[in-house]
Amino acid sequence: MYRTLEKIAGFIAVTLALLGGAALLILTVLTCISILGRAAVPLDIGFGPIRGIYDMTEIGIAAAIFAFLPWAQLQEAHARVDLFRWAIPGVMDRVLDLLFNVAMTFVAAVGTYRLYLGMQDKLAYGETTLIAQIPLWQGYAAGLVGATGFVLVAGFCVLRSGRRLVGLEAA
Amino acid sequence: MSNFELALWSFPVLLVLIFLRMPIALAMIGVGVGGTYLVIGTPMMTLNQLKTLTYGTFSNYSFSIIPLFLLMGQFATISGMSTSLFKAAESFLGHRKGGVAMSAVGACAGFGAICGSSLATAATMGQVALPELKRYGYPDSLSTGALAAGGTLGILIPPSVILVIYAILAEQNIAKLFVAALIPGILAAIGYMLAISIWMRLRPNAAQVSPRVPWPQRLRTLAEIWPVLVIFLVVVGGIYGGIFTPTEAAAVGAAGTFFTALFGGNMSFPKLKEAILSTAAASAMIFMIILGASIYNNFLSLTQLPQLTSVWVGEQGFSPWFVLTIVLLMYLLFGCVMDSLSMVLLTVPIIFPIMVALDFGMSPDDFGLWFGILVLIVVEVGLITPPVGLNLFIINSMAKDTPISATYRGALPFVATDIIRVAILATFPAITLWLVWVIDAL
Repeated sequence: MYRTLEKIAGFIAVTLALLGGAALLILTVLTCISILGRAAVPLDIGFGPIRGIYDMTEIGIAAAIFAFLPWAQLQEAHARVDLFRWAIPGVMDRVLDLLFNVAMTFVAAVGTYRLYLGMQDKLAYGETTLIAQIPLWQGYAAGLVGATGFVLVAGFCVLRSGRRLVGLEAA
Repeated sequence: MSNFELALWSFPVLLVLIFLRMPIALAMIGVGVGGTYLVIGTPMMTLNQLKTLTYGTFSNYSFSIIPLFLLMGQFATISGMSTSLFKAAESFLGHRKGGVAMSAVGACAGFGAICGSSLATAATMGQVALPELKRYGYPDSLSTGALAAGGTLGILIPPSVILVIYAILAEQNIAKLFVAALIPGILAAIGYMLAISIWMRLRPNAAQVSPRVPWPQRLRTLAEIWPVLVIFLVVVGGIYGGIFTPTEAAAVGAAGTFFTALFGGNMSFPKLKEAILSTAAASAMIFMIILGASIYNNFLSLTQLPQLTSVWVGEQGFSPWFVLTIVLLMYLLFGCVMDSLSMVLLTVPIIFPIMVALDFGMSPDDFGLWFGILVLIVVEVGLITPPVGLNLFIINSMAKDTPISATYRGALPFVATDIIRVAILATFPAITLWLVWVIDAL
């Protein structure tokens, strides 16, 4: 059972991270094309900068960052200070770790729910980005994909730190 | 408890949580949300902010430069340029006393020009240079210390992720900051080489030198590293010349390092995947900290702590230089135990307004650049000071059977040159600002 969950969490985290990475790569390519286009404007050959490239960058990067969150959580990549680890007894360290994972899951869940409400607001008001007029709710929806994955993976991390606490899992 | 006292108490609470190994971002979110609740008595304001805060932060165009610079650094790591840079530096410096270690520092400086992250620079150059240093018989303490210090050139020499964050927080011009960082960055490399030279003079037989390389061959090794120079000039020059935005420059840099890796025959799908996953972990970590810091700083401004502190410092009639010294010492001290990025994000919104209100006899623009470079250096020192110096850990983990105490010892001469450099740059602002003035006058 746990192994299955571990595989699922790993799959979610890696897939989302790679999708986010793909978004970064696509933005890199589009940005380069847009710069070339801008350089070609004086030549007047019907090739110009991409309209709204900045809007696309904002949406793409936001979606990518949300999609990166589960991977960072699974890999325990969030910055922390190990200075006093020697002073914290092993059991207490693992209990704290469990608590922090619960807290992270709570923050992720609340954040994702608020993001969902935010999306509904943008949908109701029909807000769009400045230049390309892309409906803002679409950016929020793209972010929700990663945010949801974050909640799921954070939930798995609670389970994992629980198993570490009772010694079923190597820390 | 008054709001002001509440804000003051939030510092020790935050520190205790962080020292209990709570993820820093989570600690800042928790204390920020809790503090805001205590000030206004309802969670509704924070909850309403949250509807747009996360998306707003992650989609901020200024911040979008960060994942792209990280990606650029990851591609640079794959590109094989680290080996070429080391060979080129060695052909020029290798025959001197301590020359191979100096070459490692020089190669780090070159790598820093296409990589904005200190850890990536240390890890990449460590892989290339550590075996070589071992081969020439360098003591483990010196080689690990030199590479850990050399790694900091990754952020000292532009592009630099920390400078980007400072620029956004203090509303400074990123391009000018990059240019201002250049001479101090080169001074850093020279300082590290001097430290190696002095070390070797004290222990003349500690290591061998590599054979002198004739000039034609030196020039040939130099020809190998042209992509580094081109990418650096396009990225920094392009931003400075207003040809593209910093984010666009980062995209161009990422494309440049990608193609360098591709045409060098070093790119493959597994490596691309690894580069993306590393970028993902680092970006998510940084953006979580940005989010946490903005929630925490919102709470602090609600209590008016930054404004009240700024007024208080102004009323004391302290000499500006005295305040600057205290601030820099505080950064050095905190840098020993804190994560550098979190430190910048937490403190710059509070410290910068205090500092900019003091009269250092220069324009606010000049001050913003100069202070940014000073902060960058003292924060960077934290990466190589015990007990929590991430670069030390990275290099030490790569150098098998070197005790961490040897690495700590080896880093000390380099920390000393850092502190001397900060003192010099603080005393003579013109060293930092000169290049900006010259280029501006063109």
